[in-house]
Amino acid sequence: MKTVFKFYLVCLTSICFVTFSSCDKDDDSNDTTKPVIDLLEPEEDATLKIGDEGGIHFDLELSDDVMLKSYKVDIHSNFDGHVHAPSLKATTEATVDFTFNKSWDIPGQKNADIHHHEIKIPANATPGDYHLMVYCTDAAGNEAYLARNIILSTEGGEEHEHDH
Amino acid sequence: MIRLLTVVFALPVTAQTPDTTKVILLDEVVVSGSYKKTSELNATQPVRVVEKSFLRDYFAGNLTQTLEHIPGVHSMDIGSGFSKPMIRGMGFNRISVTENGIKQEGQQWGADHGLEIDAFGVERVSVRKGPASLLYGSDAMGGVVEISPVPPPSENQFFGEAALLGKSVNETLGGSVMLGLKKNAWHTKLRFSEQHFGDYRIPADTVVYLTQRLPVEGQKLKNTAGFERDVSWYTAYRKGGYYANFAVSDAYQKVGFFAGAHGIPDASLLKDDGDSRNIELPYSSVNHLKITTHQHYAWDGLSGYWDLGFQNNHREEWSRFHTHYGTQLPPATDADKELEFSLNTFSSSVKMKTFYSGHWEHTTGWDLQYQQNCIAGYSFLLPEYNRLTTGVLWLSAYRPNKKITVSGGVRYDYGRLNIPAFRDAYLANYLQEQSYDNDMIDFYQWRSYPVDRKFGDFSGSLGLVWNPDDIHLVKVNIGRSFRLPGANELASNGVHHGTFRHEQGDASLNSEQGWQLDASYTYEHRNVSLTITPFGSWFGNYIYLKPTGEWSVLPHAGQIYRYTEAEAVFAGVEAEVGIDFLPCLNYRVSGEYVYTYNVDENIPLPFSPPASLRNILTWKSNYAQVHIEMQRIASQNRASRNEDPTPGANLWNMGATVNVPLCGTRVEFTLSAQNLWNVKYYNHLSFYRKVEIPEPGRNFQILINVPFKSKVK
Repeated sequence: MKTVFKFYLVCLTSICFVTFSSCDKDDDSNDTTKPVIDLLEPEEDATLKIGDEGGIHFDLELSDDVMLKSYKVDIHSNFDGHVHAPSLKATTEATVDFTFNKSWDIPGQKNADIHHHEIKIPANATPGDYHLMVYCTDAAGNEAYLARNIILSTEGGEEHEHDH
Repeated sequence: MIRLLTVVFALPVTAQTPDTTKVILLDEVVVSGSYKKTSELNATQPVRVVEKSFLRDYFAGNLTQTLEHIPGVHSMDIGSGFSKPMIRGMGFNRISVTENGIKQEGQQWGADHGLEIDAFGVERVSVRKGPASLLYGSDAMGGVVEISPVPPPSENQFFGEAALLGKSVNETLGGSVMLGLKKNAWHTKLRFSEQHFGDYRIPADTVVYLTQRLPVEGQKLKNTAGFERDVSWYTAYRKGGYYANFAVSDAYQKVGFFAGAHGIPDASLLKDDGDSRNIELPYSSVNHLKITTHQHYAWDGLSGYWDLGFQNNHREEWSRFHTHYGTQLPPATDADKELEFSLNTFSSSVKMKTFYSGHWEHTTGWDLQYQQNCIAGYSFLLPEYNRLTTGVLWLSAYRPNKKITVSGGVRYDYGRLNIPAFRDAYLANYLQEQSYDNDMIDFYQWRSYPVDRKFGDFSGSLGLVWNPDDIHLVKVNIGRSFRLPGANELASNGVHHGTFRHEQGDASLNSEQGWQLDASYTYEHRNVSLTITPFGSWFGNYIYLKPTGEWSVLPHAGQIYRYTEAEAVFAGVEAEVGIDFLPCLNYRVSGEYVYTYNVDENIPLPFSPPASLRNILTWKSNYAQVHIEMQRIASQNRASRNEDPTPGANLWNMGATVNVPLCGTRVEFTLSAQNLWNVKYYNHLSFYRKVEIPEPGRNFQILINVPFKSKVK
């Protein structure tokens, strides 16, 4: 009977080994790796000037192990701290909460250096805290995203680090 | 062979057991074991029954976390308070939880919605792994957790228990008092339990979420405190062939959400407020009221059963009023009530069972369930709906001799689901202001589409139990199960406030259907026991949220995720070996593995539990028990799309129970320690996994149980 016990133990142990070794490595041929987003500008807590005709200096590096597909920028207000309550609006009748939502396709590449000034903050935008979000998908549908806190202000604003 | 009066636990396929006990005269000795043994022998699928000592040794104040010690069962946690069970990689509405024979309706729906059951009041749980639609209809595809009452004490008595629980990881203080009376035909029990806990500790000073490093001040996860209050009353009556029980229970939980997990992280919200026990916004509260009765009448060779239940699951989420749509103003009352659901469920199940022949057993049944969901709040998540399901079933079991049981059955279910449309006027207005065209506005403004669908599904199973001798037990079963698509899968459209994804339903989805083949082999001889339970299932149309690659124009949303059908395969095994080195010293090793595969996409399915292995050494005597456990959780690299792989961990746990004779009773002290080395690790299935929050750190726990009884005439 002893040998039978041993046999069972060996069986169980081997099952465990197979089990553990099989999950050490991902052998799926299909892509589940997310793209990588590196947003160089604007930086966290950057102050951006309202009504700047030159547009936001937007500098983004994207990469994926297989193929990039598209990216999207979403900017919306973050008034009243975390929440988006309309209570502050009473004092700022003449201004409009700034929202931005646009996507760009970047097909056929593994790496993309993106640099543009297409995001323009109109002069009537309400100053305050905003969220800037960047989403990026690859050809398989893997998605990465990133959130930044930014401040929209009528005064000053961030200097552009270089000219264009 | 000596003729013996043998207790046969009738209807092995339902949770109703002590109350369906039937005494019959058989030609041969069939069984003479415990409830546990009988359940495991009668079911053609793997069933694991756990009773008092298991529930006490692994008590966690939360039933799901206790059941996690059963191979094949996992706990999907939402902080330290709420958890929902998962069996063999299936959770949500792919498994069912039943109490007193009635399917509990509540926890299935939301990712952040736990199971509302008083852990103190649970005395017996059977975990049925594998498809169980035949018995319970829609939803019970992956398995069932059956909570059932234990038989009353045999003698007339007044009895009860008082329990006290303390935990260090979140400074839990809890307790429960039960008073019971057994007098002649009557048996009644009243229980009150309460638990209060503070913010839980994690072995980390910061968590990194969305590339932002967030502080965890004092290693306590802010606003994860909560409390739970449960009341239940149970009464049973037995006279002659008549048996009835009535149960009323109310479970209330209120638990805060870690603010960093609710939206975009913001360090200013995570500052220590000096109070680790307060519950601030955002939080959720849920109340589950349940009224059930089980009726049974036994004639000669025939038994009738009727289960009837009404439940109300009332859940609210509170979060400071926020909107992205400028025209939406806070509601005049309850301005911060984000979501409210009130799900009413009425259930009825009638069964007739015959025992005329010693070899054959036939059961026929009719189930009916009606559900109505109502919603409120300034935000929107799940639509209102009405759902009617009804099914008829036939089960037969054939026992040609004491070694073999063949059982099988078929069932047909009809379901009707009605979901009214919900238009978000604020959103429509917002999109208009953003100058989107009418087609776009029409695509987004409907937060739920109108759906009126009828479904018809067959389910069935056929299985064999072969028990050649006392040493070996072999089971094989093949079953077909189904699940009606949920209201969210059919009709939802918009940003899910918890996952921050634009989730879109598909009104044309069919019922999810699957086949499962499972086997089990048990060996028990002298000082060695072994159980191995492999399984494999195939789904023609497994419903999952598929990333579409289409951008959503809604604020806070990336791409649109659409509920989509895909061919899917699950396979896995649980194995357990126990060896008694000495009569008082036992070593047990159990392991489990689940493989999931989305055939259409050639990737794993979401929420695949990692493989794990538990090694437990137990020393036991008549009045004390000590165990030490090494748990190895493997890394889960088979993550689905847009799900992160999770590294593995080694955890050490300990526990001890001592019975101390005191004032004429035996007071039980159970001390335990989890995560002894304060290891920082992640639960791949946790709601907080995606926000990179590790699991709770080292925990010391004490449970004191004082049973008492006195005879009454």
